[in-house]
Amino acid sequence: MINFEEELSRFKPSLEVEEVEDAIINGDLTDMSDLLMDMVKQGVRNKEGKEQSDE
Amino acid sequence: MNDTQRCSRISNVFYNRGLEKAQIRDLTGAAECLKKSLQFNKYNTDARNLLGLICYEVGETAQALLQWVVSSNLQPEHNRASYYLHEIQGSPGRLEDESVHIRRYNQALVQAQNDNAQLAILQLRRVVEHKPNYIQAHMLLALLYMGQEDYGKAGKSLYKVLQIDRNNPRASWYMSIVKKNTGRADVEKRKLKNAFSHHQMEDDDIILPPSYKENTGWQTILHIVAGLAIGAAFVFFLIMPSQEEKLNESHNQEINGVLEQLNQKNMDIDSLTKERDAFREERDEAQGRLSEIEEENGGIIRQYQQLVQILRAYRLDDFETAVQLYSDLDGTQITDGPMQAIIGEIREDMEESGYQVLADLGSRARDEGDPDQAIAWYQKSLAIRPDNPQVLYDMAMVYQGKGEDDTANELFGQIIMSDPDSELAQQARTARGY
Repeated sequence: MINFEEELSRFKPSLEVEEVEDAIINGDLTDMSDLLMDMVKQGVRNKEGKEQSDE
Repeated sequence: MNDTQRCSRISNVFYNRGLEKAQIRDLTGAAECLKKSLQFNKYNTDARNLLGLICYEVGETAQALLQWVVSSNLQPEHNRASYYLHEIQGSPGRLEDESVHIRRYNQALVQAQNDNAQLAILQLRRVVEHKPNYIQAHMLLALLYMGQEDYGKAGKSLYKVLQIDRNNPRASWYMSIVKKNTGRADVEKRKLKNAFSHHQMEDDDIILPPSYKENTGWQTILHIVAGLAIGAAFVFFLIMPSQEEKLNESHNQEINGVLEQLNQKNMDIDSLTKERDAFREERDEAQGRLSEIEEENGGIIRQYQQLVQILRAYRLDDFETAVQLYSDLDGTQITDGPMQAIIGEIREDMEESGYQVLADLGSRARDEGDPDQAIAWYQKSLAIRPDNPQVLYDMAMVYQGKGEDDTANELFGQIIMSDPDSELAQQARTARGY
């Protein structure tokens, strides 16, 4: 049977038109490519750091 | 193939799946696929535009704008999102209306979550009236109706949701609960069972249409009764009116003929009545003329007869009778010269002594208790000699005796005026009382 209160709590307010600008500015557009690139960059950076410490 | 190309390919796979789902109106499933597609490649403009389109279709206009604005920024050239944005922003007041409805939904949600379901329902009904594809509003409205156990209305809202988003999981679940509570689930289960119940058909099996039903005895009787009723109704409503109209027409013609005859007869009667009246007038006129002639001739004859009787009374020396007859004689109607001379002689005799005979007759009648006759004799006496004070006095006394004081006083006045100093004048004053 349905739990009315629980169901009601699942409803979230809709994004209002006035809030679109803030949503765009604060929105996270990071995709898998960005993450991979970050990971690659981080890996390179770690490698360079390790080499410098070895030297 | 590097990682970026791999991500792009995966993104495309999700986009294609999302597109397929959107094409069969599985909008929730499509939105999930498109979001995954964008997670792998945020530059997948088609995926982002389609996601915006789905958001717009389910009533989330702000979300749609968000996706299209981002899409336009990531790919400013040759982007369908620009067209969508232009369409929405180009219509005056459209964005404001959308904003109002979304805000109203948010208010309704707050009210619903704060145990103010009735107010929330009112708000949501206004929202879905103006924005019928707003799935979230429909869903919340359905949930509130379900909370009030008004499953019929909840079902209607959910039906609209499932028309827009065919596989919306939450709407489907709500709908299953609604169907269970309204008994609809059992009906559908039975239909499904019938639809999938198969058996091996024999050669002599007959496929009966679902509408076919075996007639029972009662049904046969009912059908016969219904047939009779229909037949009676047919006769009553289709045949009877035309027959009735024909009969009415022929009756009207007959009545018109009779009325014409009646009018003619009335006109004849009128003309005959007029003729009869004219004849009556003529007859009355002729009768009047005849009676006039008869009267004229009869009067003259009567006067001659009267004169003859007067002369006869003279010859018999019956002066009293002669005087009485003379009093009724109209000598003017006798125009013969010799007769006029005779009448003149008689008149002289009457003026000399006949008046007194008449006065005596009056006094005798008075004494005999006949005042009317007495007055008549007195008047005849006065006709021969008008200024006879004694006769005037006697007549006045008779009138006074009858109670006709005015006439009596008038006569007393004549006596007093004619000779105020006479004894009779004195008696008249005494009798009159002044």
